[in-house]
Amino acid sequence: MSMKISMIKPGLLSTIQDLGRYRYLSQAVPVSGVMDELAHRLANKAVGNDDNNATIEFTYADASFKAETAILVSYSGDGACLVYNNELMPAEKPLFFPAGSVIKLIHNTIGARTYLAIAGGWDVPDIMESRSTYLTAAFGGFKGRALQKADVLVSGTIITEVSKGILEQLIDRSLTYPNWRISRESLLPENRQSIRVVLANEISWFDATSIISFLTNSFTIHRRSNRMGYHLSGKPLVRRVKKELLSTAVTPGIIQVTGSGDLVILMADCQTTGGYPRIAHVAAVDLSLCAQLKPGDVIHFSEISRDEAEALYLEREHDLSLITMAISLKYIKT
Amino acid sequence: MTEQVGYFETDIPLKIYGLSEKSVTITFGTAIDNDLLDLITDFNQLLLQNPFSGLITTVPAYTTLTVFFDPLSVMLSDLPGEVCFEKVSAHLNKIAQTKREKSKVIANKLVIPVCYGGDFGPDLLMVARTNNLSETEVIDIHTAGQYLVFMIGFVPGFAYMGGMDSRLSTPRKEVPNAKIPTGSVGIAGNQTGIYPMETPGGWQIIGKTPLKMFDVNRSQPSLLKGGDLVTFKAIGIKEFNTYAEI
Repeated sequence: MSMKISMIKPGLLSTIQDLGRYRYLSQAVPVSGVMDELAHRLANKAVGNDDNNATIEFTYADASFKAETAILVSYSGDGACLVYNNELMPAEKPLFFPAGSVIKLIHNTIGARTYLAIAGGWDVPDIMESRSTYLTAAFGGFKGRALQKADVLVSGTIITEVSKGILEQLIDRSLTYPNWRISRESLLPENRQSIRVVLANEISWFDATSIISFLTNSFTIHRRSNRMGYHLSGKPLVRRVKKELLSTAVTPGIIQVTGSGDLVILMADCQTTGGYPRIAHVAAVDLSLCAQLKPGDVIHFSEISRDEAEALYLEREHDLSLITMAISLKYIKT
Repeated sequence: MTEQVGYFETDIPLKIYGLSEKSVTITFGTAIDNDLLDLITDFNQLLLQNPFSGLITTVPAYTTLTVFFDPLSVMLSDLPGEVCFEKVSAHLNKIAQTKREKSKVIANKLVIPVCYGGDFGPDLLMVARTNNLSETEVIDIHTAGQYLVFMIGFVPGFAYMGGMDSRLSTPRKEVPNAKIPTGSVGIAGNQTGIYPMETPGGWQIIGKTPLKMFDVNRSQPSLLKGGDLVTFKAIGIKEFNTYAEI
């Protein structure tokens, strides 16, 4: 059974993404994939999908779509709230909409990006082992481009046993959803302006005052920020070592320092190699916080060790696996 | 019996730093060098043939090899160490002790047709003037050389090629062009390269190739890879138009 929607309004930037494209990095194909991995994975978990199923990544709100068939979807993220018949839809929870439903995304001031998952995942071709859209080279996702008005998107026909279980309980002539939801808040730190970082290999290239300044001053997200990276405005850093870094591999989360001393946080569509010295990388668990930042937002960085960052990562993976297990137990009869 | 040569002298650990929770980078040297490229290529092959549990992919660069992995699989593996960095480092150091073998990866030798000058090479005159040469001399020198692909970076399939005759050396543009057409062949400093897709760029553009440098429908989408040897062949506009690929 395939589910189907049509885009009424595409919004500012809506693309299909999954967890990214990793096997072609040596050919300089960027990872791409979702900016907010946590929100994407929770949206998928809430409908019983695998974490790597493709979702729609909406940037801000001002989008709407119509369910051409009955659909089982869920959403997560801080860029928008889903509204149906003037009723606010709960996030991180499976939602069953009957055919013909019109669903709108309305503004949520907290963040930037929202993920819409459908049971079975959005069905677009697998390009180099991923369904992620990479706009610069116009491949992946839906025809290698952002979604447009009147695009018709369908779900994959193979759904998990969990999705089947959810659907059996919810299928109805009207909007329905269960009484449980995943608590995304419990997985995120309370202070979302504080971004934890691990100092990078070229840390000694910067003078001591600049390193202190990096860890104590605030930085503002510049308008020139996109899926490739966030430019930060703040006090420029001063280099102690002036030599050039020969281009080497970079990865989302790395904070580069440009020739003028400005900071750039590399994000999902970043190039695979870079020649700017790096001062730190964002702890993987806090990349989701970065994904929700908007121009004008103010952040500061706090240092943690490499081992702490890894421990936080493994801890979150453990929590996420418990969530998957809890949802399975609800719907899989043993 | 031939003498066994390890990657490094015994007991000297590799220089490894953590790049993220999911990657580490090994530093093999400090400067662009043909022997270093061979070493990185050989070590990369050795690793890919002897992977550890959780290895996802590797990215070779001028002086480094970066190793991407899944931290969960690494933690579940029985490699020695308390954290992923130690476990992955242990594996990398262990295989570094094995005998160095020449990589079985065959370096392709490719001839790339280029239509020089005119609308395809708007900066050919600039390169000629900078170096007190005629445009024809620039083309002759550019096609006479053999170029080594050091790494792929910038955009999918973009090959950084070294070995260019220093008589053609020209600095990058101070203000990059907003749009460099697909297939454009450029010069920046002592390097030459081809833009696989339309992007902004600051290299001096001397011509255009009709070949597809990157194609998602190929098993190896990037036409070139690190270690490949490239020569250029001048073609006219008529021959350029016979290639239907772009």
